[in-house]
Amino acid sequence: MPHTSSTTQLRARTFRTMGTVVSLTVASGHYAQTAVDELESAAAVVEDKFSELDLSFSLYRNGSEASRLARGELTLAYASESMQALYAEASEWRLATGGAFTAERPDGTLDLSGIVKAHAVREAALSLEALGLRDWCLNAGGDVLVSGSPEPATEEPWLAGIVDPQDRQALLGAYPMSALRALATSGTAERGQHIWAIGGAATEFDQVSVAAADIVTADVLATAIVAGGTRTLDQAVEKWKVEVLAVRRDGTLLATSGFRKPA
Amino acid sequence: MATALASAGILLAGWQSGAHIADTGTATTTSLGSSASAAGGTTTGTSGSSSAASSGTKTTTTAATYDGTAVQTRFGTVQVRVTIQGGKITEVTALQLTDAERKSAQISSRAAPVLRSEVLQAQSADVQTVGGATVTSDAYLTSLQAALDAAHF
Repeated sequence: MPHTSSTTQLRARTFRTMGTVVSLTVASGHYAQTAVDELESAAAVVEDKFSELDLSFSLYRNGSEASRLARGELTLAYASESMQALYAEASEWRLATGGAFTAERPDGTLDLSGIVKAHAVREAALSLEALGLRDWCLNAGGDVLVSGSPEPATEEPWLAGIVDPQDRQALLGAYPMSALRALATSGTAERGQHIWAIGGAATEFDQVSVAAADIVTADVLATAIVAGGTRTLDQAVEKWKVEVLAVRRDGTLLATSGFRKPA
Repeated sequence: MATALASAGILLAGWQSGAHIADTGTATTTSLGSSASAAGGTTTGTSGSSSAASSGTKTTTTAATYDGTAVQTRFGTVQVRVTIQGGKITEVTALQLTDAERKSAQISSRAAPVLRSEVLQAQSADVQTVGGATVTSDAYLTSLQAALDAAHF
C-alpha cells in the first residue's frame, strides 16, 4: 500500500451488518497504540449505529418495525418517528426523481431498503464527527463516504476504485473524493432486488456510480438511474451537483467529467 | 423529443471523440454536443447530402462544410454546420442556438460516452477503498475491498 508519509498509517476495521460488510478506515499519524484505540472505539460506535438501524429497518428480520409495516400489522401513522421521517424522505425522493426512485415494491409493499444503508452511513458519519475524527473512510458494502484525507493535514483526496461489474476483481476506474464526499453504486449484478426498471423493462445500465455531496443523494440517484435509464441520468446531472459513471448492458460507459482522466 | 435529442447528442459526441477530434475544453465540447444533437435529430435531409459528398471526397483532404436546415425545436431554432474532411466529420457547429437550447445541450452532454481508457484509471494498490454495487457478506470475502481491509488491519 502506498504510504507516502512514513508517519501516516491507514488502519481498518470491518463488521457485518444489513446483509453486507462495513469497513471503517482511519488515517492517523498518532503513535500506534493511540491510533488503534481510537479506531477501535470509532468502529464500535459505527457498528452500534448500524445495528440499531438494522433492528428497526431490516425487512429480513421478521420482528422488525419495517417487517410489521410491510405485513400491514402496523401503519405509518403509528410507526416510530425515525421510520416516518425516513419514509417521508423516500417519498420526497420519489417525487424529485419522477418516480425512478421509490420506496414501494411493485406490489405496493413498503420497502425502504433502497435508502436505509445510506441513512445508516449518514448517521454513523455524525457519530464519527462527534468523536472528533477527521480523516476517515466509511465503506458500507460498496457505498463510500469519506472525511478529510488519507494523508492527514494534506489536501490529498481519498481515492475510491470502482469495481468492474463484468470482472469484480478488476477496477473500472477511480474517483478522487474531494468536493463530493460520497460515492454510491447501484447495479443489477449482485443485489438488484431493490431496483425495478420503470415499466418492468430490462434495465439500460448494469451499474451506475454517483458521486454527490452526501451519501443519501448519491445512493438514491444511483438507484434511480439504474431504474430510469438515460432519461433519469440526464435529469439527475441537471438537477443535482453530481458526477456519474454508468455502465451500459453492453459494457460501454457513460461518464461525466469528474470520472474522466484530466485532459 | 428532448430525450431523443439528448440521446442523439450523446451518441454523436461519443462518435466525435472516437473520430479523434482534438481534445477541447468543456465549453467547446458542450457546444459540439448541442449542435450534434440538432444534427442527429433534425437534419436528415442534410446528412444524406453530407454522406454522399463525403464518400466522393474520401480520398481528398479538402474540408467541405454543409449547413443543415433551420429546424424549430421546443428550445428554439437550431441549425448546424458540419465540416467533413477526409471522409470524416471533423467539426459540428451550431449556426443558430437559443440560450435554452444551449443549456439543454450542456445538460445532456455532461454524461457522454467514453472509452474505458478515457476513464480515470487506478490499480487496486493505488486506491484506499472500493465502490461497487452492494456486495453480500459472502461476496465480500473475495472482494477487492476485503483485500484492502486486510492490508490495513
